[in-house]
Amino acid sequence: MTSAFDSIICDIISSAPSGEIKEIYNDLKALTGNKSNDSILEAITAYNIENCIPVNVDGEKVIISKYNKEGSKFFSPVTSTLFSVNHLDRVGLDLEKTDRSLTEEQQGIYDDLLKYTKNSFPGDVTFAVYPGAVESEFVIIIVSTKYSPGNYWNGHWKSEYVFNVNSGSLAGDVDVSVHYFEDGNVSFKFSKDITSEASPSSVVTVIRELENELEKEMNASFTNLNEKEFKLLRRRLPVTRSKINWGKGIGNYRLGKDSSQSQI
Amino acid sequence: MSTEAFDAALDILRRLDPTKIEKNLAQLIQLEPSLAEDLLASVDTPLQIKKDPNASQREFLCCDYNRDIDSHRSPWSNQYVPALSTEELEESPFPSESVRKLEVLANDSFDIYRDLYYEGGVSSVYLWDLGDNSSDFAGVVLLKKGDKSLSSWDGIHIIEVLQEGSEVVYRITTTIILHLGAARKMTLSGNLTRQTEKSFPAPSKLSEDQLHVWHISNLGSLVETIESQMRNLLEVVYFDKTRDIYHELRDSSSQTSSQNKTAHEEVIKGLQGM
Repeated sequence: MTSAFDSIICDIISSAPSGEIKEIYNDLKALTGNKSNDSILEAITAYNIENCIPVNVDGEKVIISKYNKEGSKFFSPVTSTLFSVNHLDRVGLDLEKTDRSLTEEQQGIYDDLLKYTKNSFPGDVTFAVYPGAVESEFVIIIVSTKYSPGNYWNGHWKSEYVFNVNSGSLAGDVDVSVHYFEDGNVSFKFSKDITSEASPSSVVTVIRELENELEKEMNASFTNLNEKEFKLLRRRLPVTRSKINWGKGIGNYRLGKDSSQSQI
Repeated sequence: MSTEAFDAALDILRRLDPTKIEKNLAQLIQLEPSLAEDLLASVDTPLQIKKDPNASQREFLCCDYNRDIDSHRSPWSNQYVPALSTEELEESPFPSESVRKLEVLANDSFDIYRDLYYEGGVSSVYLWDLGDNSSDFAGVVLLKKGDKSLSSWDGIHIIEVLQEGSEVVYRITTTIILHLGAARKMTLSGNLTRQTEKSFPAPSKLSEDQLHVWHISNLGSLVETIESQMRNLLEVVYFDKTRDIYHELRDSSSQTSSQNKTAHEEVIKGLQGM
């Protein structure tokens, strides 16, 4: 097992759409044989943590991330459990009860998130409030996925914020990706860094407004790409507004027109 | 090389980020070098542009079909760029005299087409013989506009023209690679492929020149029609479909979008029947 080999596996897994990891796992095994199994699983573990993938823990969806990783296990403050993960199947195993849970302040944010996500995220939505690097910081994560491989598309939304209760600063980013692959491969990616200010009681309202704005911004960008970029690449019809007269006479289009070499 | 490994590589390529297709392709070949030739021949990547020093530095497009060693044959001068040695040229592919005449006509005609529809860009057509004693031929029509750092369109039409009984059948596999990235934070890019087949009654009593004009007229109208349909399809998939999927993830106004979604899906179904 060479390190070049591992880094290619890692690169391929890390740029995969979140709903298609298992297909890529099977493809990589078919391509490289079983020798790569450990490298692929290691890359998938890193992928799941990096992308805050929700896993199924005893019927509940729990986001795994660097914030709730404890050794080889993960912590769920809502159910007060520690669990390990089958990263390929996205299932939690070996559940262990602990006596730690959300603080009252975190519970309040959690309840606000429940109301917010219910109304604004029609996808399979999961959210979490985890302790941050220092005691005054909480991490808020929202993940909404919609996988529709039968219709050749998958979508993934992730927002991740660090909220400092003392200073009121809210900083994070939102990543959206859509993959459409029927007789083709079309990828949409959008990401935005966000900074704002909030109090524990207003933080979810602030997030909701920021994300509503972001949704508007995306719609506007779509329109801009269509009107400004796409239309400039190829006309729907020539200036003559009719299809071309192919054949011997096609050279006539050049008459009276500057036929100098066009630039790209 | 096994078929299973080849299929797995193609499946990975259609799932990974299409803006990194060249890198993904290189990495897969590094993992399984025996796939190199087949993957390079069957995966469409954005077209490279070279200048032909034998034709006033006129630009032409490069792909696997006009490549020999690390040089590419220019459609304007019929010479390889950079030039190959005399020994190398003995093995290099060139079209027969008759197919080269057809290729020159095709390049002249598609250059006008490019100008009328793209108002810029570069086009190149490469043709090759299929068998010694027939009028069958194959080729590729290439069109490119724009630059990947902003927005770009690469059209690749692989064609096969065969006489079957009393008919001449045109089979065209079209891939459009479309990359749109206005804002740094947003990219919308990828490729779509569709296949088309159309038959014409075989003409009789035409001179070689007349037959060439007949072929390029048929081919020209076919490519023109296909590109118009693909342009509509790209518009629906890239903009309407992507927006619908995004709204399946988050939507501050859920109700109206589910109605739009149904309407868009109808449009897509209609276009996919083409």
